[in-house]
Amino acid sequence: MATETASRVDEGGVSAGLGLGDGRRLLRGAVGVAGFLLVWHAVSLTQEPFVLPSPIAVAGAFGSEFASGDMTTALFQSFWHWLPGTVAGTGLGVAAGVAFGWSRLLDDLTAPLVRTLRPVPPLALIGFAIAWFGINDWGAAFIIAVGAFWINFYAAYGAVEGVSEDLLDVGRTLGVRGDLDAVRSIVLPASLPGIMTGIRTGLGRCWMLVVASEIFGVPGVGREIIRASNNLRVDRAIAYILVLSLMYLLVDVAFRAVERRALSWRA
Amino acid sequence: MAGVNGDPADAAERNGRDPPARPDEAPEAASVALDGVGKTYPGDGDGGSVRALDDVSFSVADGEFVCLVGPSGCGKTTLFRIVAGLTEATDGRVLLDGTEVTGPTTDMGVVFQEYHLFPWLTVAENVGFGLERSDRSPAEREARVDEMLDLVGLTEFRDAYPKSLSGGMKQRVAIARSLAVDPDLLLMDEPFGAVDAQTREMLQRELLDVWESTGKTVLFVTHDVAEAVTLADRIVVMAAEPGRVREVVDVDVERPRERGDAAFAEHVGRVRELIGAGR
Repeated sequence: MATETASRVDEGGVSAGLGLGDGRRLLRGAVGVAGFLLVWHAVSLTQEPFVLPSPIAVAGAFGSEFASGDMTTALFQSFWHWLPGTVAGTGLGVAAGVAFGWSRLLDDLTAPLVRTLRPVPPLALIGFAIAWFGINDWGAAFIIAVGAFWINFYAAYGAVEGVSEDLLDVGRTLGVRGDLDAVRSIVLPASLPGIMTGIRTGLGRCWMLVVASEIFGVPGVGREIIRASNNLRVDRAIAYILVLSLMYLLVDVAFRAVERRALSWRA
Repeated sequence: MAGVNGDPADAAERNGRDPPARPDEAPEAASVALDGVGKTYPGDGDGGSVRALDDVSFSVADGEFVCLVGPSGCGKTTLFRIVAGLTEATDGRVLLDGTEVTGPTTDMGVVFQEYHLFPWLTVAENVGFGLERSDRSPAEREARVDEMLDLVGLTEFRDAYPKSLSGGMKQRVAIARSLAVDPDLLLMDEPFGAVDAQTREMLQRELLDVWESTGKTVLFVTHDVAEAVTLADRIVVMAAEPGRVREVVDVDVERPRERGDAAFAEHVGRVRELIGAGR
């Protein structure tokens, strides 16, 4: 896919995917961003800074927060909420989704429970996070894990349900016996595209949840956003929001590269 | 049911096939016997159950090539799945070399119409899939995969993924995959139904070559009468509603068979007539 994208550069065609190799697409994106910044700046001239700071003020806040080291500290703190929360939630979500999607028995046993718990927003579980883990990194990671869990659970569940019965039949005629063998050799690889989509969606969602997970006082980027907003320092708030966006972008680009590689067999 | 239990050695002789002298492999073929196989699908509660197959009995001898033809709705595919052990029969049983088939077995190589290659595996990995569950050593497995790829002429595509193969190539991979575990019986459900006519004829010739070089027993389901007459020692003609055996036709034409031959046309006509009468 990467080579395909690159080969289209000369033709100036529109290509899907990352598009980093596509000059025209990049240029258009840059024009869009520049236009947005211009409009933002123009509107900000008519507003108080605590309503809408100018992009220049935001850039200044970003620079000073970065220079003081506060931003890096907050980012590291948040990273240690994001990483364990995402890893645990993703791992458990994929495992449960595959198991319940494959086993009729497990599915029947858990369906009422799953449907009851599903609509509970992670934020509503802050009380449990504090009671079970305390106001600390683990409590914040727990909130993030809950969010990652459901996204991955449903993605994996759906992907496993969609595995072709015919491929399983072929496997059986070639000696696949038992649930473990079938899951390992056919169900998992066949549902990998759906599982990967879930993981990717979850990775992004977890950066959003960083803010929610730090609402009860655990330090990090989310905490800084909330504090800056409370102090009407909207420029600082936006600077920290930008950091989250950048982290999301970084992780998403990296994961897409992994995904493309793992799914290179796909048509 | 004339000729159901016809002597297969006799049939081989009539077809001008040399008695099996196969230096590459010990002749490992099996006989298949269907004994009163029936299948009823339960209705939707109003008692409207459907009898898909009724008292289907015929047998395929060691090393014999038998085609199963019939009008649509005669339960060919259901019968195929029952023989493969993928669907349970309501009545009767299937015997593979005298042993009742109770589930899928690697003694049968099964080839489906839609190939069903594993898209995440390369050609070589697809062919080696069943071998991973055998007691062969890794070196033996690799040698076997190479041998199979050579047999179907896909050696240079060993590292390609199925997405980049044509329909005919995919079906060759599927055949190689089913043969790799060295089954006694090759069971095929309209395997060439999804490829163009030209590729189909080529695949038919290749299948006959494979059959002659390996000596496998073949049970081949098709709706294409000319295909059945091209390939089979005997043709089991089915009738529909419920699916049952109408007649078994011996194909007394020397191979390779030419479609223009009078004998060929005569057999095609005879089978078509039987299928028409079975509606």
